[in-house]
Amino acid sequence: MESGPTRRNDDVWVIVPCYNEGPVVRGVLERVREHFPHVVAVDDGSRDNSASEIAAAGARLVQHPVNMGAGAAYQTGIEFALRDPEAQIFVTFDADGQHRVEDVMAMVDHLRKSDVDVLIGSRFLGTVDGMSMSRRALLRAAVVFERMTTGIALTDAHQGLRVFRRSFARVLDLKAHDMSWASEFLTRMSEHQTSYEEYPVHVLYTDYSRAKGQRSINSVNIGVDVLINKLLRGR
Amino acid sequence: MQYIKIPLVLAAVLILVIVFRNRQRVELRAGSRVLVLALAAIAIVSIIDPDIPQAIANLLGVTRGTDLLLYLLIVVFVLTSLGLYFRLRDTDQHLRRLVRSLAIDDAIRKDGPPRSDADLGPDSQST
Repeated sequence: MESGPTRRNDDVWVIVPCYNEGPVVRGVLERVREHFPHVVAVDDGSRDNSASEIAAAGARLVQHPVNMGAGAAYQTGIEFALRDPEAQIFVTFDADGQHRVEDVMAMVDHLRKSDVDVLIGSRFLGTVDGMSMSRRALLRAAVVFERMTTGIALTDAHQGLRVFRRSFARVLDLKAHDMSWASEFLTRMSEHQTSYEEYPVHVLYTDYSRAKGQRSINSVNIGVDVLINKLLRGR
Repeated sequence: MQYIKIPLVLAAVLILVIVFRNRQRVELRAGSRVLVLALAAIAIVSIIDPDIPQAIANLLGVTRGTDLLLYLLIVVFVLTSLGLYFRLRDTDQHLRRLVRSLAIDDAIRKDGPPRSDADLGPDSQST
């Protein structure tokens, strides 16, 4: 933007997991790459043309030979980015186009200026387009659930846009394979007493992302997984 | 319903949780082997003399020896299912680690390490 885009965020890696997002992923990645030179897209065993679209967008492609779930894909992207010794800031970003690059830029700038280790995007501090009332109520319930299980009080618990430092990326170690990664992220934060802030973001609920997004009933699966993991923390 | 059942059920659940929290411990793995041997011994004894399970059933206040076997079977089934569930979880975890490291190595072999010159602008050859 202001200065040359390539130099500007040279220590930032944007991690984009991708499962059958062929129709949109190229556009999403190209928009990210206008401002962030380092983007890794993890193709999580897609059956469509996601992989070639990722390559066409100029992002780094890491391919899971089988589908392993969003959490596993994020972890792969993080471990790939950690192999870059100059990577300092990590961003988790959705491939379906619901997140805005402007928000990432603002969050990265904010993280540089502040001394917290994690910034979590919040839809409720910001604005939401086209979210249904029931969805809103469900997400409110999720917030209460997270508060009880992790002790971390957020306004928006299942928001995937998160920006964090290398120190946290190293300890994150997501084991959850599916969507419960967002909860595991918070669990790890509470285990390591990580400092964090919330940051208002604007989320675009397009017809595409709504069709691709999680069904609300899946929150039951997430809740049960979180409780089981909690119960078995001693392994 | 006798109220004694409530603490009994709670105790059973508590034991399950403790057992599975510590399931990697060597004492526990030894315990499960001993349990298997004990069950096999009971099975052999019951085959040789079917009156013995009946006698134990009477002792425990269960009407029939077959009922006693059914209850035991349920307990063994639940433990087995849980054991397999956790084994499967661990295996999944190992598989994910393996696939991840393969995928990353593959990407690096094809396109170079994460910070390669291709990623950077022409004015910043800083590797």
